[in-house]
Amino acid sequence: MGDATVPVQVSGLQVRYGAHWAVREVSFTAPAGGVYALLGRNGAGKSSIVRCLLGQQRASGGRVWLLGADPWRRRATLMRRVGVVPEEPDAPPALSTRQLTAWCARLYRGWDAGRVAERLRRFAVPVDVPFGSLSKGQKAQVMLALALGHRPELLVLDDPTLGLDAVARRALYEELVDELADRATTVLLTTHDLTAVEGIASHVGVLAAGEMLVDEPLESLKARFRRLRLASSALATPQLDQLGLVTSRRGPWGLEVVVSRLDEGGAARLAASGAVAVETMNLEEIFVTLVGNGAGGAA
Amino acid sequence: MGSGIHVDFNDAAPIWHQIEEGVRRLVASGALAPGAPLPSVRELARELRINPATVAKGYQRLVDAGVLQVRRGEGTFVADAPPVASEAERRRELCDGARRLAALAVTLRASLDEAKAALEAAWEELVQGRKGGA
Repeated sequence: MGDATVPVQVSGLQVRYGAHWAVREVSFTAPAGGVYALLGRNGAGKSSIVRCLLGQQRASGGRVWLLGADPWRRRATLMRRVGVVPEEPDAPPALSTRQLTAWCARLYRGWDAGRVAERLRRFAVPVDVPFGSLSKGQKAQVMLALALGHRPELLVLDDPTLGLDAVARRALYEELVDELADRATTVLLTTHDLTAVEGIASHVGVLAAGEMLVDEPLESLKARFRRLRLASSALATPQLDQLGLVTSRRGPWGLEVVVSRLDEGGAARLAASGAVAVETMNLEEIFVTLVGNGAGGAA
Repeated sequence: MGSGIHVDFNDAAPIWHQIEEGVRRLVASGALAPGAPLPSVRELARELRINPATVAKGYQRLVDAGVLQVRRGEGTFVADAPPVASEAERRRELCDGARRLAALAVTLRASLDEAKAALEAAWEELVQGRKGGA
């Protein structure tokens, strides 16, 4: 049933903790060679989905496939082909990075010791200091270097830049870009760092309260969302509905609406009419519109 | 010479398209001469922190259009004789730019003559710079 050529496949996934549904009927696929960014506010269900995919948690309903197999049953075998950077670095704190690296090198076939050493050097991580005493940024860098050491087919990053400063964050993304350039590794990541992920993600999924609001290529998402500023009621409600009205609010300059079904031609015609200013939106603006307070849901 | 290419996430144009246009501009202005090397896909992706596949797509479209050429094992270079934009394409781009200048001039309540003078001055500056830099 699982397609081995699709690295990540989630179908109707449900996760329930007692009476609370953390994930309700979520479906998406991360295509090979793509970078899928799973976005959502804290508690939206991102981590539950990641845990199910890594075989750390059993789904309450629906199915997940990792590299075409069931991660709950085949976890040990699958993890040899997957690199993981967890939200909380889980390496033994007493071991030094040198010891950790040696330990991983014995664990995995095809360990690329040269590449790992090169990465750690670029990050300037002190390799003889206990892991537990490294800074947050250094821990994340060590985790990334180790996660890529066995040349995984899939890299899963669970909020890798959480709590990192701008310099550490930048270094992490540069290494990720390098890995993509070298091996076109498929990546699934969750993050709150929308600006950085905007240049790297090929696909985005936006979760809110356990439901997937959008799941599509970033390029098509950005192409169809526009903010319209209306001086007066230049557009009647039925017209706005036709354009896929997402939110509407009274801003300092009049009515501001966000629509989700605008194409290039439609945008040009609206702009030419003069009564409506048409603005493009970056990923963060689209995200806030979708999941911000008072957001209406799927678009 | 810096990479001279910037990407703007607020722009509706896809990033690969922004790279394509950026390189075209550098070639048209002479900042990238025929035969000049381009940064590798990895280098430019790392510099801009964008997906290398996006850079590769922009480059590939320029290769297909004959603006760039790939020399196996050496890298990507500006073609020896990069094609000039077609008549229609050139007119469309010029109209777009003129519309932007006109809109700015109207906003500033400048006269048409003032706008023309500013355009001429900018033109002179660019042509001079090109001669000096060559």
